[in-house]
Amino acid sequence: MSNKEITSIQPDKFWVCPECDLLLNRCAIPDKHEAHCSRCGSTLISSKHHSIEWTLALAIAGLILFFPANLFPILTLKTLGLSQSETIFSSVKALYDSNLLMVAALVLMAAIIIPLMKILLMLYLSTCLLLHKPAPMLAWAMRSYQQLDSWGMLEIYMLGILVSIVKLIDVADVTPGVGLYSLTGLIIATLLSSTQLDPHRFWRRIEQLEKR
Amino acid sequence: MQHSALTQGIIICHRCAKTAGIQQDGETCPRCGTRLHRRKLHSVAYTWALLLASMIMLIPANILPIMTFKALGKGDPATIMQGVLQLVDHGLLGIALVVLTASIIIPLLKIIGLIILLLTVQLGWTTNMRQKMLMYHFVEWIGRWSMLDIFVVAILGAIVQLGSLASVTGNTGATAFAVSVILTMLAANCFDTRLIWDKHLEKIGYADHVGR
Repeated sequence: MSNKEITSIQPDKFWVCPECDLLLNRCAIPDKHEAHCSRCGSTLISSKHHSIEWTLALAIAGLILFFPANLFPILTLKTLGLSQSETIFSSVKALYDSNLLMVAALVLMAAIIIPLMKILLMLYLSTCLLLHKPAPMLAWAMRSYQQLDSWGMLEIYMLGILVSIVKLIDVADVTPGVGLYSLTGLIIATLLSSTQLDPHRFWRRIEQLEKR
Repeated sequence: MQHSALTQGIIICHRCAKTAGIQQDGETCPRCGTRLHRRKLHSVAYTWALLLASMIMLIPANILPIMTFKALGKGDPATIMQGVLQLVDHGLLGIALVVLTASIIIPLLKIIGLIILLLTVQLGWTTNMRQKMLMYHFVEWIGRWSMLDIFVVAILGAIVQLGSLASVTGNTGATAFAVSVILTMLAANCFDTRLIWDKHLEKIGYADHVGR
C-alpha cells in the first residue's frame, strides 16, 4: 500500500457498493429514483420524495397508536362464561410466570421497547432535520435507529396473533379488541416509515447540521 | 470496470456508508462515529462461531418441549414438531404449514445458506455471484420470522388462563429456540458479503494488492 496515487484519490468523489465494494463515480440521483450496483445488483441509493416529512408524520402516527395498542386488549377469549384478555405486556408476563425469564425479556424488547425507541428516535431525528436545527446526538440517534431496525418484531407478533386465533377458534370464542386494530395501524406506520426513510439524505443532513 | 474500492485506497463506513481514505482505517467515521474497517473484523471466524453455537442450540430447541396445553387437567408438554403434528390432526393444514416453515424449515435453510456463503469465502466457490448475494439477502431478511413460535407461546400463555379448565405454559425448549434464532440473526449480521467478491476478483486475477 505504498502507491502514491492511492492517497491522491479523493474518496468524496465516489460511491462504494457496501455489499460488493465496487467503486462507482458519484452522480446525482433525482427524487423517487433508485441507484443499483451494476455488479451485485444491491440498492445503493433509494431517493424518496419528502422523506423527512413522511417519516415525521409516520413517527407521530406511530406514537399515537403505540398507547392504545399496548393498553387495550388485543384478543379476548370467552368460553363457558369465563373470559380472558391479552395485551402485549400480559404475554410477556405469561412467559415470566412460566419461568422463561430470557424469553420474556426478549419479547419485551422485540415487541414493546424497541418499537417505541424506534418511534421516539425517528420523531427526534426528523423534527430536527425538518427544522434544520442543530441538536445534540443526531448522529447517535440515526446510528441507533439503524442498529435497532431489524430487532423490532411487531409484524411477527401480528402473525403470532393470527396463528393463535386459528388455533383457538374451534375451542373457544375469540374476539379481537381495540388493541388489535391499533396494533395493525402501528405496524403499518412502522413499515411505511422504514420504506420512506432515505438514509443517505438523513446522513447528509446530519453532516451539514453538525458542521455548523 | 471491476475495481474494488479497497484496491483504489477507499474504504466505507459500515453504518452510514460514508467513503474514507484507507489511511483512516481503524479511526472513527467523521460522520457517524462508528469505527472504520476495510472489512468487518474477523467476519468469517465470528460468523462460524455464532452459526455453530446456534446449530448446537437448535438440538435442545427441537428435543425439549416448548409449550404445555392443558385442558381439564390433561395435556403433556409438546415439542415444536409435536405442535405442528397436533395442528395437522385438527385439520389445520394451512397453519401447520406456516408454523412448520417458520420454526423448522427457515432455521435449517438459514444455516445451510450461511454455511454455503462461508465456504464460498474459504474455498473460493465463486460461481453464480448474484445468486449468492440473493441468498445472503434472503437469509438476512427471513431470520427474524422464526421468532413466530415464541410469540405464539407468549400469546397463548397469556390468553389461555382459565384455571383448571384450560391453561398454556411455556417450557424450556422456548429459551433454546429463541437463543438459536438470535444467534443466527447475529451470524448473518457478522458476515461481510464483500469477502465473496474479494475472492471472486482474486480468482479472475483482478485484485493484485488487496490488503487484508
